[in-house]
Parts: sequence; structure tokens; C-alpha cells
Amino acid sequence: MGTEAEPQSKVNNNPIYPKKPIEENTWGDFIWNSRTGQVFGRTGTSWAKIFIFYVVFYAGLAAFAGLCYYLFSLTLRLDQPKWILGDSIIGTNPGVGFRPMPDQEENSGSSLIWYRRENEADAAVWYNQLANYTDAIENPEEVDSLQTCSYDNGLRATEIKSCFVDTKQFGTCNKNNAFGYRSGEPCFLIKLNRIFGWEPEPFGLNKRGQYDPDLLLEDLDRQKNLPDSLRKYITDGVKSNIDPSKFLDTIWISCTGENVNDKETLGPVNYWPRPGIPGYFFPYYKQLGYQSPFIFVQFLKPLTSVLINIECRAWAKNIIYDKIDRLGSVHFELMID
Amino acid sequence: MSAGKPNMGRKLSRKSSYVFENGQIPGYVHMIRQASRTSSMVSRTTDPEPRESYGSPRVSRLWKETRQPRTPATPEPPDVDERTPLLLGKTPKKPDTRSDEEAKAESVLADLRKELEMDSHKISLDELYTRLETNPENGLSNRQAELHQSKYGMNLLTPPKETPEWIKFARNLLGGFAILMWIGAFLCFAAFAVQNATKPDAPKDYLYLGIVLASVVLISGLFSYYQEAKSSRIMDSFKKLVPQHAQVIREGSQLSVCVTELAVGDVVELTYGDRIPADIRLIESFGLKVDNSALTGESEAVARSAECTHDNPLETKNLVFFSTSAIEGTGKGIVVNVGDKTLMGRIAGLASRLESSQTPIAREMDHFVHIISSVAIFFGVLFFIISVAMGYSWLDSAVFLIGIIVANVPEGLLATVTVCLALTAKRMASKNCLVKHLEAVETLGSVSVICSDKTGTLTQNKMSMSRMWYNGKMHAVERPDDPDNEGLSKIIVGDPEFMALATVARLCSRAHFKVGQVGIPDALREVVGDATESAILKRMETLLGNVEQYRFRNKKVCEIPFNSTNKYQASVHCNKSDCGSHFLLAMKGAPEKIIEQCSTILINGETKELDEQCKAEFKAAYEELGARGERVIGFCDYRLPPEEFPEGHLFNTENPEFMSFTFRFVGLISLIDPPRVNVPNAVRTCRSAGIKVVMVTGDHPLTAKAIARQVGIISPGNKTLDELAATQGVPVSDLDPSQVKVAVIHGSELIDMDEEELDAIIRNFDELVFARTSPQQKLQIVEGFQRQGTCVAVTGDGVNDSPALKKADIGISMGITGSDVSKEAADMILLDDNFASIVTGVEEGRLIFDNLKKCVFYTLTDNISELTPFFLFILARIPLPLGTISILCIDLGTDVVPAVSLAYEKGESDIMRRSPRNPLKDNLVTKQLISYAYGQIGMIESFAGMLTYFVIMSENGFLPLKLLGLRSQWDAQQINDLEDSFGQEWTYEQRKRLENTCSAAYFVSIVVCQWANLIISKTRRVSIFKKGMTNWVLNFALIFETALACVLIYTPGMDVALKMMPLRVHWWLPALPFAILIFVYDEIRRLIIRKFPGSWVEEEFYY
Repeated sequence: MGTEAEPQSKVNNNPIYPKKPIEENTWGDFIWNSRTGQVFGRTGTSWAKIFIFYVVFYAGLAAFAGLCYYLFSLTLRLDQPKWILGDSIIGTNPGVGFRPMPDQEENSGSSLIWYRRENEADAAVWYNQLANYTDAIENPEEVDSLQTCSYDNGLRATEIKSCFVDTKQFGTCNKNNAFGYRSGEPCFLIKLNRIFGWEPEPFGLNKRGQYDPDLLLEDLDRQKNLPDSLRKYITDGVKSNIDPSKFLDTIWISCTGENVNDKETLGPVNYWPRPGIPGYFFPYYKQLGYQSPFIFVQFLKPLTSVLINIECRAWAKNIIYDKIDRLGSVHFELMID
Repeated sequence: MSAGKPNMGRKLSRKSSYVFENGQIPGYVHMIRQASRTSSMVSRTTDPEPRESYGSPRVSRLWKETRQPRTPATPEPPDVDERTPLLLGKTPKKPDTRSDEEAKAESVLADLRKELEMDSHKISLDELYTRLETNPENGLSNRQAELHQSKYGMNLLTPPKETPEWIKFARNLLGGFAILMWIGAFLCFAAFAVQNATKPDAPKDYLYLGIVLASVVLISGLFSYYQEAKSSRIMDSFKKLVPQHAQVIREGSQLSVCVTELAVGDVVELTYGDRIPADIRLIESFGLKVDNSALTGESEAVARSAECTHDNPLETKNLVFFSTSAIEGTGKGIVVNVGDKTLMGRIAGLASRLESSQTPIAREMDHFVHIISSVAIFFGVLFFIISVAMGYSWLDSAVFLIGIIVANVPEGLLATVTVCLALTAKRMASKNCLVKHLEAVETLGSVSVICSDKTGTLTQNKMSMSRMWYNGKMHAVERPDDPDNEGLSKIIVGDPEFMALATVARLCSRAHFKVGQVGIPDALREVVGDATESAILKRMETLLGNVEQYRFRNKKVCEIPFNSTNKYQASVHCNKSDCGSHFLLAMKGAPEKIIEQCSTILINGETKELDEQCKAEFKAAYEELGARGERVIGFCDYRLPPEEFPEGHLFNTENPEFMSFTFRFVGLISLIDPPRVNVPNAVRTCRSAGIKVVMVTGDHPLTAKAIARQVGIISPGNKTLDELAATQGVPVSDLDPSQVKVAVIHGSELIDMDEEELDAIIRNFDELVFARTSPQQKLQIVEGFQRQGTCVAVTGDGVNDSPALKKADIGISMGITGSDVSKEAADMILLDDNFASIVTGVEEGRLIFDNLKKCVFYTLTDNISELTPFFLFILARIPLPLGTISILCIDLGTDVVPAVSLAYEKGESDIMRRSPRNPLKDNLVTKQLISYAYGQIGMIESFAGMLTYFVIMSENGFLPLKLLGLRSQWDAQQINDLEDSFGQEWTYEQRKRLENTCSAAYFVSIVVCQWANLIISKTRRVSIFKKGMTNWVLNFALIFETALACVLIYTPGMDVALKMMPLRVHWWLPALPFAILIFVYDEIRRLIIRKFPGSWVEEEFYY
């Protein structure tokens, strides 16, 4: 045992004896404690101090993050995404878009186009959407970089130039006809998703863009579920055209009922101007005023009062169909009452 | 502790029927309300010397009245017998405002808190035989035995009621954050059900998430259940009791019966070495001595006989108690109580009925769970309302709620804490501290008071020679260099005076070594005999060697055994060593008896007249030893004149003629149950760690005080009130009690105290010793300390300690000497019985608390970075930056190993130099911790994650401004052509792939920031450069965390399983500046805390 001078005599002879918590700390006191002037456990100055600290802290932190983002953004390009095609997450397999489309705010997740034929307002929702879309195409803001392309004149989209979409070729699918909605023959706008720098690899053309009949048959055979009508259209077209390579420079589009029932109820389908998008619209390089090419499909005699599942697909060698991932295809439903 | 309320009620109502049953046996066992103090007052006048002994001063009444120092505070009432309080207990009546059931339960507990009252020892034997339908010759008939067994029960202690396994399991499934998680899972299923009802081919995401959440709860519940079960299995190893048998007379013949089958009324034969099988009233005794230390804490054996000597059942000589052991002699008796009704059964019952309080760490964890759950619910409800108000659908709002709950709940933390505790428990087990349930690991770290039993805990529970007084000088037997033995002479073997004393000590003894112990060191050889004689024998063997041979040469020819009237023991030996053969008388006994018998004394090798001066010296020495609480024995010898006692003389032991002679006094030997070697150091360490060490013992105040001084419970300079009075020569009443810091409180004083007085004593005295306390009083003392808000540890090994052990915040029992009851009641067991192991426990407990704090800080930090994506998702309407599955990958994946590795951190400063934590202020999770983790480090991590998110979005075409408000289009499944900043059109699936990539990148940036966070969590105060990176488990965790993140991201198939996408290498980088920022920022914070103690920064951000 030590003497007084030894360090262990410095023992803590007064261990803390915390008093029992006094039962007066109620919730009310926590919110406003009149004795200590504390609001939510802090006095006014204490709140002010901590508030100022956090304001300064977050301002500093935000500035730091901003600086980091600024430094990073120096590596970005303004004219194109940093990563394109296979490097980008978007990949090389475009999706298919359609119009009109139900409003996602009111009707999230729904792809049903439903209207009552007698009800003008119902139909107007849909054909106005299409009208707005075609109006924007008809009156482009930028014209310098746009050119009129065709198979015949051989003009194609380049890095700075892109092609007009001719809105006059859609037959009955026009604004004046209310896109067929009033008459129960609704038109749907079908387009291919833009992917920066993506070019189609059409059926039947070899690497040099020349027509190869064997290749065409091989390509067509390789496609599963290619509608017979489309196959016939292509094979017939090859025969009737002088330059099949131009005719074949197309991304083919088909719209069918999804199931056997749907196929029956959907009835005949009309494609305006034809079941495909010409290849000269591609690639997309964020050309000024670029117009996405599209076609119209018109359902001539869809059964009324039945929900019809419709699937539209785009066909090319480098469009891989994936029903679950909705690649190379799009799905929507139609119901006319 | 674990029993729920309804259980408690059932358990107690069963017990209350037992009271009723007793009430039906008139006069058998009464619960006499009257305090037994009355009876003790009556008995006092008629009571002969209550205990046989060698007349140490503490037993001699005459001596006591002149010498016995009175303890301070309240002078002992003169009419209270010295020894009675053992049986007294006081239960303050509390106002009864409870329901009937509870009141009943309370009254049973109150009854148990009182002392046992019985009259089986008082009534005449015939009456007893009639009452128990037995007789001493033939015992019970087999039929009667069976009858009694069914009437009074088997001789078993009812094991404490176990909580059913399924309740334990259910508790694990519903405890902690489980409820919140169940809500989350339920919402997932609900969301899926709604989606599924509206659209048949709805994605199964929510079903999947719901299953994941539910499995997380199930698995972590199973895990903690497994941990619990594992630690309770440790205890089962203690339960394997060797079945014992008792020798019983039934139907006139003696047979060996299993102890459990013993019935009330059985006639039992007892032999030394037996464990007493039940509470037994003796009808015959042949020198039977029992060791009651398990019940009373006194280590010396007490003699038992057939006479009723005291009204008090514990004091009377004709009762022996269950679980004590017979040390010497034989006897025969009638079983009067069995099983739960025995004295030990009652104490065990009291212990098992007490509800031990929640452990501090459990309280902290609850507190923490409450805070986090409140935050989660607050944010959840707030954002639910906001999102509904913003026009989101109910389904969307519910989905947000899921996200917020999952982000807010640290799913892996509770399991992590369990693992940390288990690791510490394992480490402690390797240091001989066995923890019965994991939470107790930390409890020792928070204790501010240790109430220690003396016998067997602080001391060895083994008598040993302490001093010898001969030749007019005091000699230290052991450790002459010890400061306690300063100024004492050293024993020189060969001194004639020493040899004379040693001769008597060797010869006049009945103790002997067990045969067949060749080659075993003296200290370990087993001895047959009472504690005192054994101690002397062993010491003599080590000092001189070969006692057996010496005894053989000096054959014993006659012996007068010890009895309580004479208080001496004598033997005559034929001494053939020198100057022919003659008889040597060797005698030992109570010093005052021995000195009366002497006329001469051996001084400086000469036999001198025993004059007044010599007598005064003797008295001084005797008093000195007595004051030390030691047992003192006097020795004398006498060479019988050969004329009167020629060779071959036959001695008459009945009326020995030599007793008419006067003898030569050779010296005194004192014995004490010495403190364990490491105890003084351990006590010193505890005290420097701010822990008050209090002795609570059933033993005598003087002994208690002496041991308390030796081990440092009473500091060397400090005096009690009466010691101060003695040195100043003034009466105790003249002194101001506040002058002294030390008090030795007698159990009888406690009886008269109410709670407030006890509280005042506990507050006012720094060094406290409670002596002569009953089990109930030990409980009272523990409760007294707990009322002060302190966390109390109780150490003890006896049955008498078990109620206190149970009530204490942490009860510590002894693995070797501890009784089963005490082990059952304890939370921790010291396998090596070493009090010093407690220090290890305290250290480990404090360390684990610190480390848990770090662990919680580390884990909580990324909660906020998991939450901000949801806020921005809802408020800024950006596509979701961090998915729910990714959150789970962090919480249950990458965070777990680093968090556990913090349990391996070494302490920052000397944790044994600071005061115990204040349970009301120093919480595991404090305001500061939340503020710093959530408000600062967590926010830095959020910024890192969001930056990474924007970087990836930008690189793929979605510039930040484009993202604002994009959420509804982004998440609309029908939109198959969403335009980005560069006019590219993204399908729903392409968007989701981008979103998942961002989520994976956000996940990675959290991992990167958590590197820095883990490093800063290592230390709360010192610089990391000083602390070093020597925790290799933690360093490994850093690598493991990263590797795991890589596996989660880059393993093929993870895009489907966990929605994780492979990342470009440089997408790991945006978070790096923030990781560095975290490191630097925290270094600065710690620098400020170190440089400016008490500054605003410390006040607000030191956790």
C-alpha cells in the first residue's frame, strides 16, 4: 500500500453520482423551456451559432462540389456526348417510338390509347398531339442544315447536314382528316430512336452497300417472326425496283397485333408512305434542326370496344429485338368505343 | 430480466400457493412478522458463547466489550447482539397501489426478502418426531417418505423459469429495427400487390425487394438468436452436477439415497467431507463442524451439536444447512426442510425472483434505436406527406416511404454490435472472464461501484498463518518485505524460542496430510483437519519439513480434545529426543486461557517468570493481532517431571492429573484468511479508474476492516470515526462524522436505517465496508447504490451473495469456488476466481464502449448519403441516384466488416485513468455524434455520391439541368424515346440501365468515402498520424470492402441480381476528392478539439 505521495493516492475519490433525472423534462419543456430559454434543447444564440456554421459549411461544401464538377465538365464536349454508341450505356440498339402517347403525369405506366368515336374531345386529345408533332416538322426553325433527300437524288445525312421529313406523303394521315381518329381508322406515328452516330445495316446489302440476293434471303430468314406481308413487300420491291440497293437501304417497320387474338381484332394495317424508314436519314450527329424520320401506320378496321395490343417493330441487321427490354420494338394498346 | 410481465405473474402465483401450503402446517415454518430482533434480545442473556473458537478477541465477549471498536455513523444499540443481524432484514412497506396479482407477487418477494423463521430447532425432539412422523432409530418408512415427498416436495431447487425458446426467437424478430423493416417489407408487398392488380405483367421489383427485406430481418433475427443461444449454452456446462448421495435410515436400515429423494423427516447420517443434503436438525454430533461460508461468508468452520442454543435458526448449533459442507466429525439428524424451503432455497428463490435491470449497453442500444427509428419515421412520414402534396400517387408515395426506411435503418448495425460484443466476450473468456450474456461485456466498463464480497473473492478463503509472537517480538510469517509487515522481525528457523513454539504447533494438532501425496509441493498438498490446524501444519511443513516424521518420533500418548468450555486442546508426547525420555505436554487454545495456565515464559532461550511486564507485552501483542481481525492462538508447553510421569505412564484423559501444573508460555500464532495476491493492485487500478470499491461481507467487522486495509479498499492514511476518536482521545460523539471518509457499517446498524439514511452514508463516505450483512442486506446495499444512479457490480461466490448478484447491474461470480446458485445469478464468471480479472473486464468493457461508438459513427454516417438521393428524387424530381438494393449492399455488405474491425481498435488514451461514464450523459449515440455523422461527414459523402451521379449522367448525355424534373418521364414505362441533352432517345430499359449504373457508381463513391470515414473513425481525439494504422483487421477490412464492392459490381449477372452495373475505372475517381476532404476535415476538427479544450467545436462536434 502506498503512501500519500504515490500516484495512486490521486484516486478519484469523488466518482460521479449522477442524480436521478428529474421528471420535469417533458416534451413541452423540450420544445420550449422557459427556465433556460431553450427551444428544442438550444438557446437562441446556440441555434444561431450552429445555423451559421452549417450555412457556411454547406456553402463551402457545395462550392467544393461545384468546383469538382466544373473541373470534370472540362472533359465533356458540347457537340456530342462523351461516350457514344457501344461506349455509351445507350448502346447500339435503338428503340422505337410512337405517337400519340398517353400523358405520363396523369397516367403513369399506361400505353393505352382509348377514345370514344362519338366524343370529339376524346379523339382530339390524340390527333392534336399528332398535329402538333407534324406542325413542328412542317415549319422547321432551322433550314440551312436541312436538305431534301431521296433515293433518287442520293443525298444523305452528313455530319452537318440532315434531311427534311416530307409531311405530304402520309395520305389520309393528316391534320385535316384528324389523322383518321374521327373515322375510326386511327393513324400512329412510328419512329426510330435517335442514337448519336448510329447507322443502320439494312437487309440484303453487303459491306459496300451493294445488293446481294443471297444475303437478303439469308438476312430475312434469320429474322424470327418477320411478318409475311413485310417479307413479301421486300421481296416484291427488290424485283420491281431498278436499283434494289437503294430500295433496301431502309429500316423496315411492321405493326401487328401482339397475340393471335389481337391480330384478328386489329384488322388490316396501312403504312404511309411505306413500311420502312429510308436509310439516308442516318446517322444522327446532332445536326442543327435534325428531323427524326417517321412513318404513319393506319389501322383500317380495328374492332371497337376491344382492347388491342399492338407491337411495332423495326427491322435491320443491327437492330436486335428484345421484347423485355423493349429494344427494336414498341408496344401500345388501342381501344375505340 | 427476460421474463415478460404475464410470465412473472404466473410464476409468482405458483409461489404464493407455496406460502399457503406452509400456512397449513401449523408451527412448522412460520413467517413470523415480528422482527426477530425481539427474540435475539431475549436470547442474549441466556445465550452461551455462541461459537466455539480458540477465543480470538472477536469472540470473547469480555474482551470485546473493552476492545471492540464501535463503528461510526450510528452507535450500535447496546441491546443488539453482535451476531444476530445475520438473520434480520427489513422490508420497507411501500404504498400498495398495484393490482391484486402484482400485490401478491410483491408480497411473496417481500416475504423472501425477510428472514427465515422456523421453530424446528426449538421444539423438543419428541415433538419434532411426532410432527414429522418419524423416529430416530428406524427413520421414515418408505411409504411415509413418499408421502412426505409429495407433501413437501422433492429435495430440488426449482430452476429459474426459462423464457420459452419461441418467445426468445420472436423477440429477436421484433426487436430493434425489425419492426421498421417489417413495415418496409409489408409496403413492398402492398406495392407489388397494387401494381399486380392494375397491370398483370407488372415488374416484380417490389416483390423481390420485399422478400429481401423480410429475409434481412429473418436472418439478422436468427443471427442474434443464435448468439444468445450460444452464450446460454456456455452456462449449461456449469449445470452438470454430480449426483450426490446421502446416508439415510429408512425402515430401520441404513441406505444410500440420492439427495434429491430425501424427504422431510428422514434420518440422515453426516460424515466429514459430505455436502449437507438438506436443512437438518442434529440429534447426535461427534465433533461435527460445518463450513457455513457459502451462507454467511465466514470461512472458519463452526461446531455443531444437538443442543438448541439460540432462537435464531442460523445461530443455533443444532441446525445444519443445505449446500454447506461438513468439515470434521460425524453426526446424525432429521431433515426438517427440503428443496426450495431450505435456507439456501429461499435465497436462491429470492435471487431468481429479482428482476435484474437492463444492461447499460442494452439501454444505450434502445436509446439509439429510438433515435434512429424516430428519425426514420419522421422523414418517412414527412416525405410521404410532401410527396402526396406534390401530386405523387399513393403508390409512389408508399414506394418513397420504403426507400426512406431502408436508407435510414442501419440494417447491419445491430448484428455488427453483436459481433463486436461477441469478439470482446471471446477475448475476455481467454482472460478468464466468462460472460454469460453478451451485453454484460460492456457493463463492467460502465460500473462506478464494485461491491465485493470478502471471503473467497478478495481473500483466498483459506486460513493461513500470518504472524508469530514469541520471544517478546512480533514476527511476520509471510512476505517480510511487505510494507504492511514493516518493523516486524524475521523468523529465523533454529532459534530456540521459535523451535519451542514450532514444536507445540507441530505436535498439538489433529490435522494431517492426506496419504499418498508424494512429490506434490507443500502448498498444494491436501490436509485433513480444520482450517486453523491445517494452516499451521502446512506452514510448519514448509518452514521445517517432515512434520509427520517429527510426530512419529514424538508419539502422542494422550490427548485432551478441544471443547468450548475449556477452550484449549492439549496432548502429551513421549519425547525421546534429548536428555533421555520424558513426556512433553503441548497445549494450545484461546490465548487468555493459555496465559492463565502459565507461570513462566520462554524469553531469549531462558524460561523466565511470567511477570506483569511480560503479561502486558502479551496483552499488547494479543490486542494488536486482534485489531487486525486475525484469529489468535496461544501456545504453551511443559516438560512433565519424569519422577511423577515415568516412562510407560498411563494417562487419564477424563481427569488429567497434569492440568494441576502451570506451564511455560511459548508464543502466539495468528491466522487470517489472506487477501489474494493480485487484489491490492486490482483495487488500486479500479480506484484510479474512478471506481469505488466497497466491501460487503457477512464476516466480522474487524476482519473485514483489516482485509479492507490490506487490499486498499480503505486507504492507508484514512481512519474511521472511532479510530480517529481513539487517536485524539475524545469520545466518538464529539467528532464531526463529516471529517472522516471511511466507514465500517455493521449489519445491525443497517437494520435501523431507512433508505434515506443508507443513501446518505453511500453519498458521504468514500471508503465503505459493510460487515455482518445478511443476503437481504447485501441486496439493500446494492439497491442503495443503484438509487444514486450508479452502475453497480457485485462480486461474490456464496449463496448469500446471490440476491445481490442478481440485482446488481453486473453480478460476478467465481468459477472455482462459486456456488451454483451464485453462478446462476451472476452475469459474469471469473474462471480463475481472480478479482484482478475484473480489471481486465473493466478495461475491455470501456474499450468496447468506445469502439462501439466508433462503429456506430462509422455506420450511421452513410445513412444520410443513402437518404439524400431520395430527397432529391422526390424534391428535385431527378431520376433515382441510388437504388434500394444498393443501399442494402452497403448496409449489409461493404459496411459490415469495416464496422466490426473497429472493435479491434486499441484505446486512445489510458482508459483506466478516466472516470466511469455518466450513464445519463455519456450515451453511445449523442447529439454531437448525430450532428457530426449526419450533418457533416454524411453530407460530404452525399455530395460525393451526387457528383459521381451527375458525372455519369453527363458523360452519357444527360446534363444536370436536363435531369431536373425529369423523374416522371424517366420512370414512365410507355415512353420509349426519352430525349437527352444531345437529342439521343432512350428507351425505358436503356434509361434504367443508366440509372442502375449511376446507382452502382453512387455505391462505389460511398465505399470510397467510407475508406476515409473508417480511418477517421479510428480516433476521436488524437491525430491519425499519432494513432497509426496498426489495426491490421481494419487494414484488411479496407481491402475487403473494396474487393467486395468490385465483386458486387463486376461479377457477371449482378446487373440482374442486384441491379449493379460494371463501371468504368474513372467513375471511382469523382468521390476521391471528397474522401480526402473527409480525412483532412476530421484531422482539423480533432486538432481544434485537442488545442482548444472546451471550445465550441468540442462542445458541438466531439462525440
